[in-house]
Amino acid sequence: MLSRLANGLAWLAVHPRGLLRLLVVLALSAVISAPPRPFVVLGPQQQVHTINGKMGIHTRLTDEVEPWKIKRSLQMVREMGAPWIVEYFPWAYSEPQPGRYDWTHADLVVNHARRQGLTVVARLGLVPEWARPKDTTNTYLEEERFPDFARFVGQFVRHFQGRVSYIIIWNEPNLSLEWGYRPVDPDGYVRLLRLSYQAAKKSDPGVRVLAGALAPTLAPPGSAEGMNDLVFLQRMYDAGARAHFDILALHAYGWSFPPDEPAAPDAINFARVELAREIMVRNGDGDKVAMITEGGWNDHPRWTKAVRPAQRIAYTVRAYEKVATEWPWCQAVALWAFRYPWATRTYQDYFTFVTPDFTAKLIYAEVQGYAQGRRQTVDRQDAGHAQ
Amino acid sequence: MIRQRWIQFIALTSLAMLAMLAGYLLWQRSHQPDDAWLRIQQTSVWRVGMDPSFPPFESLDGDDLLVGYDVDMAQAIAARWSVTVTFRGIGFDSLLDAVIAGQVDAAISALPVEPRFARDVAFSIPYFEAGLVLVVRAADTDIQRVEDLADKRLAVELGSAGDARGRGLQRELNGLTLVPFSLPQEALNAAASGEADAALIDGVSAWEFAAQNREVRLLDRAVVSDPYVIVLPVQSPDLVGAVNKAIEEMRADGTLLALRRKWFGPYAD
Repeated sequence: MLSRLANGLAWLAVHPRGLLRLLVVLALSAVISAPPRPFVVLGPQQQVHTINGKMGIHTRLTDEVEPWKIKRSLQMVREMGAPWIVEYFPWAYSEPQPGRYDWTHADLVVNHARRQGLTVVARLGLVPEWARPKDTTNTYLEEERFPDFARFVGQFVRHFQGRVSYIIIWNEPNLSLEWGYRPVDPDGYVRLLRLSYQAAKKSDPGVRVLAGALAPTLAPPGSAEGMNDLVFLQRMYDAGARAHFDILALHAYGWSFPPDEPAAPDAINFARVELAREIMVRNGDGDKVAMITEGGWNDHPRWTKAVRPAQRIAYTVRAYEKVATEWPWCQAVALWAFRYPWATRTYQDYFTFVTPDFTAKLIYAEVQGYAQGRRQTVDRQDAGHAQ
Repeated sequence: MIRQRWIQFIALTSLAMLAMLAGYLLWQRSHQPDDAWLRIQQTSVWRVGMDPSFPPFESLDGDDLLVGYDVDMAQAIAARWSVTVTFRGIGFDSLLDAVIAGQVDAAISALPVEPRFARDVAFSIPYFEAGLVLVVRAADTDIQRVEDLADKRLAVELGSAGDARGRGLQRELNGLTLVPFSLPQEALNAAASGEADAALIDGVSAWEFAAQNREVRLLDRAVVSDPYVIVLPVQSPDLVGAVNKAIEEMRADGTLLALRRKWFGPYAD
C-alpha cells in the first residue's frame, strides 16, 4: 500500500500536468459534493396577533449563526403573540476593529424581526478587545474609552434609523461582573449614559434611549458583588441621569414568588419594579415610561430560586396580564428568554420557552393561548393543579 | 528510471518519518504526567467541589455539615485510595470552571454529562440515572417497556421534560392518554393508586417516591437517559481511571445500592 502511494506521489512529481488535472478533479468534487447553501428569504410582511400589545420576549440570537434559525425563532415569537423583542447587539461583534463596522449579522436579525412584525429593542454592550486592556473581561470599559462606545452607539443608531427605535445602554451596571469586575459606579455609568445619549440623539433624534437595566439585588453596602438596584437608581438620579434617557429599563425576576407578591425593599420579586417606578416619580420622571427588558421565572429542578413548571406557566401568564392591566407606566415586558442556540446544560435552559431544536415547551403554548384569548390549561390563581 | 526510484525513496522515507513523528506525539500525549493524581497521592487529599443545595445528593444539615449521597460516595472513593476528602462549596454553574481552573480535583454534585465541555473536562462513567423513567405498580407486568404504553394512561408533571416526552409518545403510540399533574409526587401517586397506568418522571423524583412506597417499581431502562457523573480534569487520565474503577467496584460490591437505600429509602432496589 505504502509502495503504491509512494509510486503515485513520484508519478505526480514528474508529471505536473497530471497533478494539475488531479487538483481540478478534487476541486470539482468538492464543489459538487458540498451541500447546497440554504437561501433564506425574508418572506411577506407579517403582523402579530395578540390581545396584549405589551407582551415581549428577550431573544438570544447573538450567537445564532444560521439564517433559517434566526428567521424561525422570530416567526415563533410572532406566532406566540409577542410584538416586542429585546436582542443583544454586541459592540465587539459590530466593530471588530476601531472604526470598521460589520452589521451583517445585526442586519439579518433586525430585518427578519421587522418582517415578522416585531419591534426591536436593541441592547448594546460588550467591549471589543481593542478597547480594553489585556486580561480584562468584555464588560470592562475605562473612562477614556467611553467616547469610543458612544461613537459606536451613534453609528448603530444611524445605521438602523427607521428600523430600530429603542436602544438600551449597557446591562446591569450595578453588578461588578457587568462593570468589568470593578466596584460599581453609578456616577461613571451616568457619564457613559450621557455620552451615549448625545451620540444617539445626534444620529436620530427620534430614537428612544433606555437606561438602567439594573439587576435586582439586595447586595449590602460595600458588597464586592454589586449595589442594591434601588440605591443605584437613586444614585443615578443624583448624578443627573434624568436628562440622559427616555425610558427606564427594568429587570423583573420573580424567583420563587408569584407575580402578585407585594413589592418590598428587602425582597426580590416581580413586583419590585414598582419600587423603581416610585423612585422615578420621586425624581420628577413620572411622565416617562418604563420597560421590563428581562424577567420571568425558572423551572430548573434543582435551582433554589426556581419554581415547578406548572407554576412557571401560571406566573408567566399572570405577569403578562398584570403589566397590561395594572401597570400603565410600563410600556412592554420582555421576559427572559425565548431560546438559546444550544443547550447550556445549566439552570439557564429552564428560562427558555423553546428548545434549541425549536420544540415549543408547554409554556410557549400556554402563553400563545393567552395571547389568543383562549382558556388556560393551568389554573393561574394558584397553579395548584392542572386542569 | 534511477531518478524515479530516487524520488520514490524520498517519498517513502518522508512518509515513514511522518508516521514516526505522529507516533511519538501520540505516545508523548498519552504519557504526560497526571498532576492531579500525583498531587492527591502526595498530599493524601482529594479536593472535591460541590453545591450543597440539592438533597438528597448534597445539602447542609442542621449543624451546617455536608451530607448526602454524593458526600458519602466521595468519601467511599477516597477511602479506597486511602486519602481524605476536602469539600469546597461552589455554585452549581461554576463547578466545571473550578475543575478547569484547577481549584478542585473533581466536581461531584449531581452533575450531568455536558458534551459541549468534553474538550475542557473529563467525565466519569455514570453513577446514578437521573433521566426520565417509567414508574408502574409493582404487581403490574403489562408494562415492561415504553412501547407497552399504547392504550394506557400516563401520568406526567405538567410542563416538565416528562410531559414533553409524553406528548411525543402520544404521536408514536396509539391510544396513549396523558394525565398531567402539577407536581411529580401527584403523578407518582396516580400511578400508585391506579388512577394512571404509569408515570413518566425524572429519576430523582421517581427514586424518592419508589424507595418509600413498595406498591410501585421503576422500569430498569430509562426512557431518556441523563445520568449523573463525576467531573474531572481533562488531562488526568490516571485520576479518571481511578475514579471509574472505584465506581465500577462500588456498583459491583453493593456500595452504590447501599447509598441509594440510605438516601432515598429502604425499597430503593
